[in-house]
Amino acid sequence: MPRLRRFLNAANKKGLGFRVSGFGSDRTLAYLLLAPTLFVLLALSIYPLVHAISLSLQITSGGAARWSLQNFGRLFSDQFFLAALSHTLIYALSALTLEFLLGLALAVLLNRQMRGRTFLRAGMLAPMMLPTVVVGVIWRLMLNPNFGAVNGTLKGIGLNTTALTWTSSPRLAMLSVIVVDVWQWTPFMFLILLAGLQAIPQEPYEAAMIDGSSGWQTFRHVTLPLLKPAILVGLLLRTMDLLRVFDQVFILTEGGPGFATETISLYIYRTAFRFSNFGYAAAMSFVLLLITNIISAFYIRILQARESG
Amino acid sequence: MPFRRAHNNWRLCLRLEDLAQAGLTMRRHLQYPLLLAVLIATLAPIYWMLTISLKREVDQFAVPPRWFSFTPTLEHYSDAFLNRSFGQYLVTSIIVSVCSTFCALVIGTLAAYALARLKMPGGLNRKLSLWILSTRMFPPIVTAVPLFLMMRDLQLLNTRLSLIILYTGFNLPFVVWMMRGFFVEVPRELEEAAMVDGDTRLGALRRVLLPLVAPGLAATAVFCLIISWNEFLFALVLTQTDAAMTLPVGIAGRVTQYEIKWGVMSAAGVVAMLPILVFAMVVQRYLVRGLSLGAVKG
Amino acid sequence: MRIKAGIIVCTLALLLSGGCQSNNSGSKQLTLAVNSGVEGDALKQAARDYEAQTSVHINIVEFPYANLFEKELIDLTARAGAYDLIMLDDPWFPKFASQQLLTELTPLLQSKGLQGPDQDFVQTSIALGREPYETGALYALPYVGNSQLLFYRKDLFAKHNLKEPATWDEALAAAKLISERETTGAPGGGKVYGYVMRAAQGNAAVADFMPIFWAFGGEMFDAAGKPAVNSPEGIAALRFMLELGKYSPPGYASFNADEVGAHLLQGTAAMSINWPAWISAFNDPSRSKVIGKMEFTSLPGAKNPGRAEIGNWLIAIPRDATHKEAAFEFLLWATSGEQMKRSALRGNPPTRKSLFNDPELVTKFQAYPAQLRSLESSRPRPRTPFWNEIENVFGIYLSKANSGELSPDDAMNQANAEIAKILERGK
Repeated sequence: MPRLRRFLNAANKKGLGFRVSGFGSDRTLAYLLLAPTLFVLLALSIYPLVHAISLSLQITSGGAARWSLQNFGRLFSDQFFLAALSHTLIYALSALTLEFLLGLALAVLLNRQMRGRTFLRAGMLAPMMLPTVVVGVIWRLMLNPNFGAVNGTLKGIGLNTTALTWTSSPRLAMLSVIVVDVWQWTPFMFLILLAGLQAIPQEPYEAAMIDGSSGWQTFRHVTLPLLKPAILVGLLLRTMDLLRVFDQVFILTEGGPGFATETISLYIYRTAFRFSNFGYAAAMSFVLLLITNIISAFYIRILQARESG
Repeated sequence: MPFRRAHNNWRLCLRLEDLAQAGLTMRRHLQYPLLLAVLIATLAPIYWMLTISLKREVDQFAVPPRWFSFTPTLEHYSDAFLNRSFGQYLVTSIIVSVCSTFCALVIGTLAAYALARLKMPGGLNRKLSLWILSTRMFPPIVTAVPLFLMMRDLQLLNTRLSLIILYTGFNLPFVVWMMRGFFVEVPRELEEAAMVDGDTRLGALRRVLLPLVAPGLAATAVFCLIISWNEFLFALVLTQTDAAMTLPVGIAGRVTQYEIKWGVMSAAGVVAMLPILVFAMVVQRYLVRGLSLGAVKG
Repeated sequence: MRIKAGIIVCTLALLLSGGCQSNNSGSKQLTLAVNSGVEGDALKQAARDYEAQTSVHINIVEFPYANLFEKELIDLTARAGAYDLIMLDDPWFPKFASQQLLTELTPLLQSKGLQGPDQDFVQTSIALGREPYETGALYALPYVGNSQLLFYRKDLFAKHNLKEPATWDEALAAAKLISERETTGAPGGGKVYGYVMRAAQGNAAVADFMPIFWAFGGEMFDAAGKPAVNSPEGIAALRFMLELGKYSPPGYASFNADEVGAHLLQGTAAMSINWPAWISAFNDPSRSKVIGKMEFTSLPGAKNPGRAEIGNWLIAIPRDATHKEAAFEFLLWATSGEQMKRSALRGNPPTRKSLFNDPELVTKFQAYPAQLRSLESSRPRPRTPFWNEIENVFGIYLSKANSGELSPDDAMNQANAEIAKILERGK
């Protein structure tokens, strides 16, 4: 802080204050103020990105590195990579759909002044605020086939739970990790959509009422179109997070059983830090980055089209 | 002030919209049972972890599960924090998240001010804002390998400093974007008045603008704290010794063990969770805005 | 406002300075990476004893089995030098040693006036610490002499007139019989499964499969070094594993050591291939419901005589360790007969012949003769630096076959193709 103050004083002494500042010194000040941020971001995102590109274009054999496209060639023949990719997409799509539908339903149903709203919101917020590692722990406890609360409760109401081995069953494991994601992140969708609903002006509703629209028609033709920006933002942010999912799966299943829940981030991590193949890991990262970028560009285009239109 | 106003508007919209949708009376009947169901589904798992952390081992494994009746014990907490290194992980987590939040706030607020108030040529303000935000979209695993190698070359592996630096970087785009939004909302006239009274630009920023956006600054700070507190992947990759392990890494380290120490893990989980829940309560009003990076307003 | 800000700044400055302090330069400080579990616990306690006797301070970093390798590999390949000593499972050794990541021990031994490692070490154990296997330079000393044993419930075998299984067919017949007859025989009235297998992907599935695979005449690699897991013998072995799996508890395709241990301790399974680390647990009343009922013997055979997989824990000094000399002192001390006996008393099988014959230990651990037989006839997993990747892939396919996702033929053919790819890349 003293250093900051010194810096600011120095900036002032150099005549950057209001009285002498014209357009030019504003610009200089702007660059000065932006410099630290740009430096940090260049060092921590752009440089690593460039570094990753060069890593992905090299292969090491016998201790010597040489340039090659082999890492990218391997992508297409690596069935583990393709499986991890498809798991990630299935995971992202299912979780996104469920979170969106549940979130929307909750937002529409609970969009009103009500008693205990603050309390409700605080309660709903809890899961999404938790460290994902803790969420993983919670659900390992809940889903444990022998003494977990889920099977225990089901048994209590007389259900046979021997087949419900959740994360250890190849069929149920993916479902389990998706359910955990839905538990943690539906509140997020709900909150964004609720905020979106509350920002809708009342005039369209009045008009709809005068036209005698039914509740569903109003929802379909008034609420949904006006909610579109909130929906897109919610979907965009969730999609980006879902595509990179790592922590929960790492804790809950470590990609198993077999390969059933291995996601792309997990496979990249394993390739880099378990098999020490940094080059191939970097090549796979690019595919992930590319997919993320294409999808977010798609959302942003829709969003901007609406803004300008 | 702007927040108050927006809040009142919301409430106004709410009532009118309710009138418009009066046809959906069903909602009214569904509301409270639904609310209750959602709350239970949300909170029961968290409560379950809390009970596991307080149960003796015989009660943990009881079938049917004991939700309410068990003899509470603090043995797992003392085991985790006195006998094992969780106390140290906790200290590391606190240091790392507080320091990185502080750095990100200082650096980011200055940049946000420049983007919001100082006009640069060629539409640079808008372009830079978008670029800064876009760095947030990288999946972390993409940069994990290069950043790991970079920290190795700087000899910063296994230090708290490496995590502070990285988390500052993660939080910066968020701080810049949020604070820019808050600054834009404050009318320029207030600052200009101060500057006419003889204040410098930065003086006006400190004495006029910052106090006005203080609630926003606080909310941003809390988000940064939460993000740093929860981060797992980089903490996992960059720490091989207890010296710089954070709570999430410590907890994850107990999970995949031979024999799982459920009580210790849950106790550590509860401690990792509590500060976050408290913060969440404090900032819940600004939360939506924060998480949607101010974009919902459109 | 200003005062408050001042306080915040001061606090932060304090915290930050604390944050940068982590590299203090105590000369007599060692950092030791261990497995969290009974093997690591023994070394941890030894380290505490060592601290009490000397002025050396030892920091212990503990990781679960699944993460330990990763952490060590990251530290060693990054040449970060955070660890002075590492405890490693023997199949990891070729990877570390072939990449020159460990300190050669012979010069250090010579500096102490020793010719080489103590002759007392079991031949199959000390061979693991050499690169190439058995003949090359010495990089690690064996600390825990694990090798697989067949665990079985002698009470149930006696009850049903079954004899100790000498072949896998006999083991299968026993598993079938017990599963059918003991439908309410478990403590608490549940079913006793005839067998319990671990077939979670990775290490678990491979470790439980290898003894069957070898007994059926399977080999990972043919004479030319090409993968050969899909040989007729290999596929027959996997078929047999699935057959045995029918008498295992449901969901065993994702079992790890903890689930298998729990089934045996709870008395809900009658037989398993397992590691000696569990032996002492069966006589611990707070954990076991089968006190005095478990017997341990060497593995059954089939076409070939039964041979266990060896799984020793080694201790090595990373090449970039900061305090090599002090680390070596501790290594010698911890693997000495006297200290290893203490570790043995804490439940870890030794790697020294003299201790397997030590009267005090033999009275306490009656399985020692069987363990020594098993250890001396044991086989290591293939000594290749790619074992880690191969095991990962092989384990995935074994797990898939056991969960019914793939037929044994498909699983072995696909595994073979993937292993071939790994070797091809490594060239």
